[in-house]
Amino acid sequence: MKTFLGIFVSVVLGATFCFVFWIVVSHDYQWDAIAPYKGNFISGWWTTLLISAIALVGSILIGALLTSGQLSPWKVPRILSRSFVELIRGTPLLTQILIGYYLVAPAIGWDSRFGVGILVLSCFSGAYLSEIFRGGVESIPSSQWLSAKAIGFTDAQTYRFVVIPQAIRRVLPASAGQFANLIKDSSLLFVISVHEFTMQAREVNANTYATFEAYLPLIFGYFILTFPISLLSRSLEKRFAYEH
Amino acid sequence: MSIETASLTKHYVETKAIDNVSVSIGDDVQVLALIGPSGGGKSTFLRLIGGLESPTFGEVTVNGITLPVDDSALREWRKKNGFLFQSFNLFPHLTAEENVILPLAEVHQSSQEDAKNRAQEVLSRFGLAKHLGKQPGQLSGGQQQRVALARAIAHKPQWLLLDEPTSALDPEMKAEVLDLIEELQKSGQKIILSTHEMGFARRASDHVIFLSDGQKLEEGNAEELFENPKTAEVKLFLEKVMKW
Repeated sequence: MKTFLGIFVSVVLGATFCFVFWIVVSHDYQWDAIAPYKGNFISGWWTTLLISAIALVGSILIGALLTSGQLSPWKVPRILSRSFVELIRGTPLLTQILIGYYLVAPAIGWDSRFGVGILVLSCFSGAYLSEIFRGGVESIPSSQWLSAKAIGFTDAQTYRFVVIPQAIRRVLPASAGQFANLIKDSSLLFVISVHEFTMQAREVNANTYATFEAYLPLIFGYFILTFPISLLSRSLEKRFAYEH
Repeated sequence: MSIETASLTKHYVETKAIDNVSVSIGDDVQVLALIGPSGGGKSTFLRLIGGLESPTFGEVTVNGITLPVDDSALREWRKKNGFLFQSFNLFPHLTAEENVILPLAEVHQSSQEDAKNRAQEVLSRFGLAKHLGKQPGQLSGGQQQRVALARAIAHKPQWLLLDEPTSALDPEMKAEVLDLIEELQKSGQKIILSTHEMGFARRASDHVIFLSDGQKLEEGNAEELFENPKTAEVKLFLEKVMKW
């Protein structure tokens, strides 16, 4: 029964993929129309890569900070971190980018759409990551904390030697998904005119009216950014693996 | 080394785990056994003495010095002792050897080389020389408990605190672990254990405390308490558990 189900699922998925691929490939494309804009795509792709790479590091730092706030023994950091996470997760990224760049940044005299974009993305993704990290930390059984306490570890040593190494393995798959989202979410920075990959595709489309030809490169461009993250995550999962 | 408790009490939200227990464990006691029905307060009493928890009321006095209530100060007392738990509580992401090395190097400030040598020495003594590089998930229950025992004694603790060390083991593995504990007792190690192994408690301990519903019902010399229990409840309990 299992084998039959496996074959059935493989056939259905394979057929669907081939069908969609054939539809996409068999379309009559006008690649000549977008050829002069090759440079725009390349510069947009590099911008997306740069924004995503910096925001990825920023989101890990903000995520870790929010996690430690949420797990703090003190009430004030707990409430502040929790409120921040709820607010960020419960509101659209598009609005956050607009408020960040057009309201908050001018109020503090900061005029860098690139910088504001990265900061807002880091906060947005950091809020999601903090929930993933918190889940990872809280999933470590109480017996591990007790054992660490019994051998005389301080709280900091318990996190460093016991909790974090075990939690990393547990949060990797979800974190990799969040990193891929971050890369794709960077496309929303078009609202503050950051010339990233999607913004360039929009401009090419506006100039050439070749919609598919302008947007199809995004599939490949984003995939070569997100796929390595998936591969890296799987290799790290193996490295941190242990039997229960 | 003497340990005394005065009106020792531990309340959880709606439970009195330990209720006004006063005992005096003289310097002459080498092995103290805590016996009694499940849920009677044995584990909580052991944790209070070992400094893993702080009492709600009352105090624990070691050599005339009252243990502090503050957790970080209590850590100094925990460091001097060794704990063994029912469910082993090894760190699953570390090998057997690393489980023993980690507390020696990070808590007891041994050099990596000294810690490694000591870990290999105790693990070999417990018949685990072939399993140094294995993680707990790759070991049997008995082997895991022997690693946990090695970790608990590696720093030469003043007291070895054993919380139902064989409850999670099958009869063969149980015998392996009890043999090792008896070996430690013969080598002069001071031990406090909570146990359901009445035969072992009778044979290995020289002082016994019977706890039920968080209260001390009886206390005294092991042979005397097992031969002539004074209270009806202890008599009934011993008749039941010794029957088979």
